[in-house]
Amino acid sequence: MEKNNGYKLKIDPEICQGTAYCVRVAPDLFRVNQGATVDVIEPNPAPEYEEQILEAATLCPTRAITY
Amino acid sequence: METIRDLIPPPHIEGIKHFVDFASVDEILRSKDFRQGSHQESQPFFGDSLLTIDHDVHFERRRLQAPLFRKEALEYYEHEELLPLIERALEECKEASNDTGEVRTDLCALVRTMLARISAVTTGIDGVDTQERTDAFRTYIEQLGTGATVEWSTEDHATVISRILEIREGFVEEFYAPSVERRKDLINQFRSGDLSEDDLPRDLLTLMYLHWNNNWDDELPLREATLYLVASSQTTTHAIPHLMIHLHEWFQEHPEDYEKRFNREFLKRAGHEAIRLHLPSPALLRIALRDVVLSSGVKILEGERVACLFTPANRDVKVFGEDARKFNPYRETQNVKPWGFAFGGGEHTCIGRTLVTGLSARTDNDDGTDGTLVNIAHALFNAGIELDPDDLPTYTELSHHDAYGRFPIILRNL
Repeated sequence: MEKNNGYKLKIDPEICQGTAYCVRVAPDLFRVNQGATVDVIEPNPAPEYEEQILEAATLCPTRAITY
Repeated sequence: METIRDLIPPPHIEGIKHFVDFASVDEILRSKDFRQGSHQESQPFFGDSLLTIDHDVHFERRRLQAPLFRKEALEYYEHEELLPLIERALEECKEASNDTGEVRTDLCALVRTMLARISAVTTGIDGVDTQERTDAFRTYIEQLGTGATVEWSTEDHATVISRILEIREGFVEEFYAPSVERRKDLINQFRSGDLSEDDLPRDLLTLMYLHWNNNWDDELPLREATLYLVASSQTTTHAIPHLMIHLHEWFQEHPEDYEKRFNREFLKRAGHEAIRLHLPSPALLRIALRDVVLSSGVKILEGERVACLFTPANRDVKVFGEDARKFNPYRETQNVKPWGFAFGGGEHTCIGRTLVTGLSARTDNDDGTDGTLVNIAHALFNAGIELDPDDLPTYTELSHHDAYGRFPIILRNL
């Protein structure tokens, strides 16, 4: 995967409520953890993931994702 | 006057289990073992809208609507729509001032006017342009809001529903139907290749007709539009009077902070406190999809309706500290959003939250927008807002909501 240093994908664990909407739209970037919230799999995704990143960040009901 | 009141549970949630502590409410809202249980009487206005659907269907609808709340869209709404509208609304107050030159107005109506066009833009309602049309549109939103929250009305509920459905017909004829027809025409032009997708309006109604789902009924866009129109102005209209009266009291008790009335970070924190203490939706209901045992040990049976009382939960001393029931713009919260459940929780967290709080809230790590609360409060202080000492604000008697019905103000600097 080509790295894109422009993105620093993060989830605020205090804000994430585990709806996992991000996992549905970007399964390569996010996964549900054992605490029923979500972890970032790839914090520096390649440019081809831009649309998934934007959609996941906007779709998250609590907007816990920054990039 | 009393500015922080306790929630008196309204009749429609009597006889069902109440949850008043933050942890239980949070657990229920996050859980996939519950579905929406609110808005049963207001189905004619909100039925099958984003607010009342759950799980997979909710995800798909939210995914469809999410582009309306992208960073670029929020920046556009704030800079191109909200800020000029705030200025225009204040200018109109000045023009309508009395012979003495003193500018007096009602804050509730003023805020609703400021937000009317942004509601129209995000929803896709045309023709909210002149003062007369804006007033008419604002009145429709107020009336639709009464129908959409009929569960909280102190009037006879059937009478309210019947009256507001009749008023809605006027809204459809005057604003909604022509807006839908124009969008259908534009979509037809797009499909025939005469327009590009970029030329289509970016609003709710365009999105819904562009991506029509055959499982939808013909009136669904009207109910979804009602949700957008009501919700996009309700939180801010509800919160600004509370914010102003709390800041009025705060500056009296802390005169050293008065200069901070133009400080956006201070206003932001104050705004979070106002919506934490005075929730636009003070309680929501959920229905258990299966037998559930909460962490507290409380059992909830499959099919049981439970009430999450946000007002006491947002004043839980375990989460917000010993002074949780007081307004404190310097409050620090750990592991929770500063506004608590003001925008709900779980998958039903309000899709328009960032319109109100802006994108520079601590959850977004972005400095794109300040949101309606900060921008309107800032403009009101610039305009020299003061409470009218001879005509103090009064709470509404038409609803069990913690809302002001009248809020007379003087704008000294206009």
